Amino acid sequence: MEKIHTTRERETQSGGKNPPAVEVKNLTKIFSTGMRRDYVVAIDNLSLTVKAGEVYGLIGPNGSGKSTTMKVVLGLMAPSQGFARVFGLESGDIRAKNVTGFLPENPYFYKHLTGAETLRFYGKLCGMHGAALRDRIQELLELVSLQKAADRRLSGYSKGMLQRIGLAQALVQRPGLLVLDEPTAGVDPVGSREIRDLIFGLRNEGITVFLCSHLLEQVQEVCDRVGIIFEGRMRREGALDELISIADQTALTIQSASPALLEQIQNLVSHEKGASMVELGHPRTTLEDLFLKIVKGGKTSDE
Amino acid sequence: MSEAMKPGKVRLFTLERIWTIATSTVTQLIRMRTFYFLLSFAGLVIAIGNLNIPDTPAKELSMIKKVSFGTMDLFAWLFAIVSTALLIPRDIEDRTLYTILSKPVRRIEYLAGKLCGVLIVIGISLLVMFAVCGTMISFREAGFVKNERNTMVKDGRYSDQEIDQQIALISKHGMRPELGIAVAASFMKAAVIASVTIFLSTFASSSLFTIIISILIFLIGHAHAMASSFWLYHSGDNVVIRQLFKIVKILIPDFQLYSFSEGIVLAEPVVYSLVGQMVLVTIGYLTVFLLLSLLVFIDKEF
Repeated sequence: MEKIHTTRERETQSGGKNPPAVEVKNLTKIFSTGMRRDYVVAIDNLSLTVKAGEVYGLIGPNGSGKSTTMKVVLGLMAPSQGFARVFGLESGDIRAKNVTGFLPENPYFYKHLTGAETLRFYGKLCGMHGAALRDRIQELLELVSLQKAADRRLSGYSKGMLQRIGLAQALVQRPGLLVLDEPTAGVDPVGSREIRDLIFGLRNEGITVFLCSHLLEQVQEVCDRVGIIFEGRMRREGALDELISIADQTALTIQSASPALLEQIQNLVSHEKGASMVELGHPRTTLEDLFLKIVKGGKTSDE
Repeated sequence: MSEAMKPGKVRLFTLERIWTIATSTVTQLIRMRTFYFLLSFAGLVIAIGNLNIPDTPAKELSMIKKVSFGTMDLFAWLFAIVSTALLIPRDIEDRTLYTILSKPVRRIEYLAGKLCGVLIVIGISLLVMFAVCGTMISFREAGFVKNERNTMVKDGRYSDQEIDQQIALISKHGMRPELGIAVAASFMKAAVIASVTIFLSTFASSSLFTIIISILIFLIGHAHAMASSFWLYHSGDNVVIRQLFKIVKILIPDFQLYSFSEGIVLAEPVVYSLVGQMVLVTIGYLTVFLLLSLLVFIDKEF
């Protein structure tokens, strides 16, 4: 895939040198509700930075403020306090929107349009036209494996197909930043894996991905850095390896170990002062991997 | 890489984006089976055209025109209200608006695009209906002229001048180019009520509420000039009532302005100064209500 919004262009546009893809600083979002004007603090003094080219996952339970944060980053909501910037530009700035692609949770597009028409519509909104747009539509339909369904109306698309056409529309103008809100919500494991593979591909293309999800396993697989948000506050943030590694424990994986060798190791550990064997057994695959192996074996066609 | 796609090159406002949203709205409205209504209307008009009303040819033609143009007018304003009231709330509900506004699209471009889309559909529908009505009226007129001439000639009591006068009377009530102005008046009236509806839908909580209030505004807009003279007459030119009516007149468009088109349908001469006034007032209303809509919509959070 050709990369359009290069770092140099983004620098020129923002006037700064290497601005982060997303910069959220002391963001607070307060909603007033009901006739009595009660206030709900959806985001409380949140700060985060997504570096250009990385895959950042914002995780948290439902109602923790993930989607609100994304909407502020996209300029769909205004912050009550603080700010959000995209490549150094105020969120909501039309130039920032031009370098941002967005896939909302459970996307619904115009059902009266076909897949190709949907991409044409969003491409035109981004100022694309003619042969460049036609080629881009073909490229994207191929990328998300929807060539055969290109002329079918979206009303006949499955949830997984809608998610994929949503991803294609988010990528139509070759954005430097891709914002994904629960990208695999409601999608079966096969579709989920396909979307995950697409995210890997995008990272290899140098596209920054900012995704929010509550599917931890998925985030763990694709993200370079993770922020954990709860009740509108950032609780933990950092590189995934740092966050999930247990500093005071060491894992040892041995191929074809005899019972005698394992006994020796256990003896050595028991003789070490303060050390203890926490777990001994065979490494396990994930349930999802096992399921995929079974399902993919019997699967003959895509949708 | 095309120049237009460079981040720094994105244009702040383009008619192209408005046109993209407008054409998508047209497709949306057409595929929402709007044309079934048009088809039913065309059938209705043809049925009316074939009815034999026991009256003089001129009166029969006048009646056909009145019913046809009345139906066209009703379709235009009702369609303007219902379709406009549904479009924006549906985009919000379906979250289509998220993906549109997260692209480099200004909110004014979105609103203008939606309004233009509705107006394009109304315009095309009116033209199709006008063509159907015009063809049908022309056929009936030609038939009446032929019959009348044959009857009068056969009778032998009428001079050529009297026959020509009778034919001219029938033609006066037949198909005339001025009828296009009546169609344009219906279009402009629909455009104004569509802009009012788009304004209401930017803050209304439901489409049904928007539809009801828009219809109320439309009805009040037809009557407030008459109501103000009635109340002022009975209240002895009361200052409070006069001020109240001034406010109503500012808030609610005066749809009575467009009613001169009824005279055109009834073969009355066209007052071109009124047509000019109507065009200017329509542009004014459209601009004001679009700006008011933007005022509400620009800070709206989704």
